[in-house]
Order: sequence, then structure tokens, then C-alpha cells
Amino acid sequence: MFNIPNFILPDVLLLIFPFIVIGIRLFVTTRSQLPWRLANIGFIAIFLLLNLIPLAGGSGKLFICNWKVDDFGVFMREVLMVSALLGMWLSKDYFEHGGDKKPPMHQIAEFIGAIAFATFGGFTVVSACDLLTFFLGLEIATIPMYALAAWNKRDQYGSEAATKYILMGSVATAFELFGFSYLYGFSGSLHFDEIQAAVASGSSPLLWIAVLFLFCGIGFKLTLFPFYTWAPDVYEGAPTPVTAVLSVTSKATAIAFLVVLVYGPLSPIQDKIAPLIALLAGVTLFVGNLGALKQSRLRRFMAYSSIAQAGYIMVALLGPATTAKTAIIYYLFVYAVSNYLAFFVFGIIGHHREETFQSLRGLSKQNPSLAIALAISMFSLAGIPPLAGFFGKFHLFFSGASTGHYTLVAFAVLNNVIALFYYLQLIKAAWVDEPDGHLNPLRLTKRQREVIILLSIAVILLGFVPFLSNNIFAGFMN
Amino acid sequence: MNLLNCLILAFLLFGIGVWGLMRRRHLIGMLISIELMLNAANINFISFAYFTAHDATAGALFSIFVIAVTACEMAIALAIIVTMYRRHKSLDVDQLRDLHD
Repeated sequence: MFNIPNFILPDVLLLIFPFIVIGIRLFVTTRSQLPWRLANIGFIAIFLLLNLIPLAGGSGKLFICNWKVDDFGVFMREVLMVSALLGMWLSKDYFEHGGDKKPPMHQIAEFIGAIAFATFGGFTVVSACDLLTFFLGLEIATIPMYALAAWNKRDQYGSEAATKYILMGSVATAFELFGFSYLYGFSGSLHFDEIQAAVASGSSPLLWIAVLFLFCGIGFKLTLFPFYTWAPDVYEGAPTPVTAVLSVTSKATAIAFLVVLVYGPLSPIQDKIAPLIALLAGVTLFVGNLGALKQSRLRRFMAYSSIAQAGYIMVALLGPATTAKTAIIYYLFVYAVSNYLAFFVFGIIGHHREETFQSLRGLSKQNPSLAIALAISMFSLAGIPPLAGFFGKFHLFFSGASTGHYTLVAFAVLNNVIALFYYLQLIKAAWVDEPDGHLNPLRLTKRQREVIILLSIAVILLGFVPFLSNNIFAGFMN
Repeated sequence: MNLLNCLILAFLLFGIGVWGLMRRRHLIGMLISIELMLNAANINFISFAYFTAHDATAGALFSIFVIAVTACEMAIALAIIVTMYRRHKSLDVDQLRDLHD
């Protein structure tokens, strides 16, 4: 009766997993490490299982007609699992002593459960084949994030950030839902294949209103230009590990949402919505870069940096399906690894000092390895050649340029110069500036040191791997 | 009653929601405005399902799911607002000024 095909096994496990972790916590003492160990084993097991799924190519495999597992979905799942795993490792220390002058957090099992639910929402978005599953996936991915942002009840900034986030997020949901309703009205069906057929057979004002509402809604979640204003406040107010999870998991889910939409039901009109995407991408990366120039607090700086990164990723959406999907997945891996490396370094600084540029001064003398890790992650985010970020950006721009959007690509490359300037400012603070006044010494725990070494190696290796083997990333999707 | 009337009603409701969201300075009022916007989408779904769609059940079902999801969202929103209230003793959004550039 229960005949579960093995390609959806990771999804099923991830759905059951948070219930097990939260359930176990009821039977052990507060100080027990059992839920934490179990969560580690579970996340790593699911990640390994995902790697065992053979690449299918083509349209993927279906489960009950609206759950599709294709190559893009499997790779996106891996990105989301990497993000969940790293987010969990980053958060562990915040349950023992607080960071950035905030009190420590509580209820680690529920925290991990919420991250797992958000990840499952991302899984649902990438495998959805109809609007209902799609909508539910997006909500499952977002609702735990609201709770995560407000996790530290004794921190006044946390509750303010969460209030702003949930107000903006709910408005975004309403816009998306309104767009979905017009899309349903236009095509008369919820299934993506039928919507695609209806879109291909002719357009009407209803379709364009739907597209407009959908882009408004996802603009909020992806922090695109007119709708990005909540992001710096929320990124700054939320606890640091939550900011990291927000900037990777939530962004990856939103990008996946756009990819599924643009290359699925809306693919017949992709060339007509290209100007809209190009405009949003160009303005977003410009505004993000300008905003980051004048920041002095680290997490606010990362918020503007991630707004700009969202703009860069949008550039790829102009290209043909295979190129764009490959570029986006590769870039998301690189972005996740570089971003988490930066957040681990900021987290260590935040445990002992304030999270500002001031606290970075003299880092190269006090703790050279930490300064090197910071430089690696910043150079990768800025896109300096030997590191992974350069090749990621190269693929994104290549995808945009392959359909002839040279102006936008040139604009994005020029913007990269501004980006380089502010990333270099951070490196200058760590390597050149002398500390003024007394700064608390930094101590690394064993886990932090191991993760930072692992991530640094990953950032460097991801830059070389595509050249060692021609087809690791080039030809996996047709 | 025809499709156009229902669509206009839904659009007006959505507009009232957006207007209320911008005019209201009270958190509960803003939540109610958001609820109006979500319900406008529900009316759209149901009217499309009733008048035009060849897959009518799906549209009606969608609105039921939306109601459930909205309930979850509002539960979390109210929980967050309660923590806000405990700290500030008021529900005015203009006090959300600790985080800024």
C-alpha cells in the first residue's frame, strides 16, 4: 500500500525529521545534547541521500502528478540542505552565549525544526507542478522564517525586525495570491502544463496583470528594487544565524520560485517579460551596491550585499533554460558557501565584540587565519578571478548575454567595480587599519575552526572544479 | 450577477486593503487590511471557478487552503505582536524606529 519511490525519500525524511527532533526533546532534559546530535545525523543523512539520486535529465520523474523531481530540483535541494546544515552549525553557539550584545537564545530543538520546515518549503517549491502546491511550498518556506526572526524574545530589535518582516511578507503573499488567482482565471486550470498551453495559445490583459502581481509579490521576498526596504532592518534585527539562513535559504527559495515560473508556465512569453526582468535586475544591483557603500554595521552591510547579489542572479533569468538553470545553481552553491563563511567570521567577532567595521580593525595581527578566511569570502562575493565567485558571476553574465542583453551585462560588470570597492573596504579594515582603543580578544571553538577551514577550502575548490571536469556543471540539464 | 461584478468587487476589496495598510498606524488594523487583501484573492478564485474554469473544483479548493494558511500566518503575526506589546505597551507602528540606516 505504501509504495514510496526512492527519489522522494529525502523529501519524506525531511518532512518527518523536525517532528522527531522536537518530539525527542520532550523526553530528555533541557541540557541534553541528544536533539542536536540527532539533527546533525538527520541533516547529513538527507544530504547524502540527495547525492545518491541519479540525474534523470529531461523532464524528471513525477509522483502523484503534481510532485516532480527533476535535475534542477535535486540540485536546489542540495543547496537548501547545505544552507540548513551550515545555519544549524552557526546557530549552536548562540544557544550557549549570546552574540552582538544580545542574550542567548533558547529551545534549540524547535529552532532546528523551524529551519527544517523552511527547507522543506523550498523542496516543495522546486518540485511543485501546480499552483496550489507551489503556493503552499512558498508559505511553508516563509512562515517558519517569521518565527525564527523573533526567536530571541528578550531582544527588542528581534521583535521589531520580526514585526516588519511579517507585515511585509504577508503583503507579498497577498500580491502573489492575487496574481495566482488571475493566472487561474486566465487559464482555467491550476496545473502548470495546462497554464503553459493556455499562455502559448494567446495572451490577454488578465495574463499581464497576473504577471505584474506575481513579480510584485516575489519582489518582496527576493528583495528586488522597489520592495527591498524591509531587508536591511530585518537582517540587522534578527539573530545572526537567522540572518544567515534568511540570506541563503529564503533567497534560494525565491529564486527557485522565479525559475520554476519563468521556465515553466510562463516560458512561452519569456522574451516578452525579459525587459521587466532586465529592468528589475539592473536597478536592484545598482541600489544594493549604492546602499552597501555607506554602511558601518556588518549585518546591515551583508543585507545590502545580498540585495545586490539578488540582482546579479536575476541577470541569468534572461538566458535560455539550460544555461540559466546551470548558472543559477552553480552561483547559489558559491553564494551559500561564501556567505556562510562571512557569517561565521562575523559570528565569532560578534561573540566577543560589537558587529561593526570597527571591531574588524587589526584582525590580521590578532588572528591571521580569521582575517584570511574573511578575505577569501569577500573576494569570492566580489568576484575576483581565482575564487569561486568569479566563475559564478561569469556563468550568470554568460547566460544573460547569450540572448543578446549586452547593455545589462555591461552595466552589471561596471557595478561589480562599485561592489569591489566596498568589499575591499571591509578587507582594509581587517588588514590595514590599526585598532583604536581596546578590543576584546577572539576565541574560536573547535567546531567554528573546523567549519571555517572547510568553507574556505570549499570556496577555493569551487573555483577550480569546473575546469577539472568539463561536464560537472556544463551539461547536466537538457 | 456575472463574472465582471465579482472581479470588480475583489479588486475593490484588494484596493481597500492596500489603502488601509498605508493609512493605518495600528498593527491590528494593518493585519486586518492584509486579511482583506487575501480574501479578495479568495473571491477571485471562487468566482473564476464558478463562472469560467473547466477545472472548477481546484479553484474552490484553493480558497480553502488559503484560509488555512492565512490562519497560520495570523497566529504567528499575533504572537510576534504580543511580544512587541509587552515591550512597548502600545501597538503603534511609528514606534518601530530602533532599526534604521
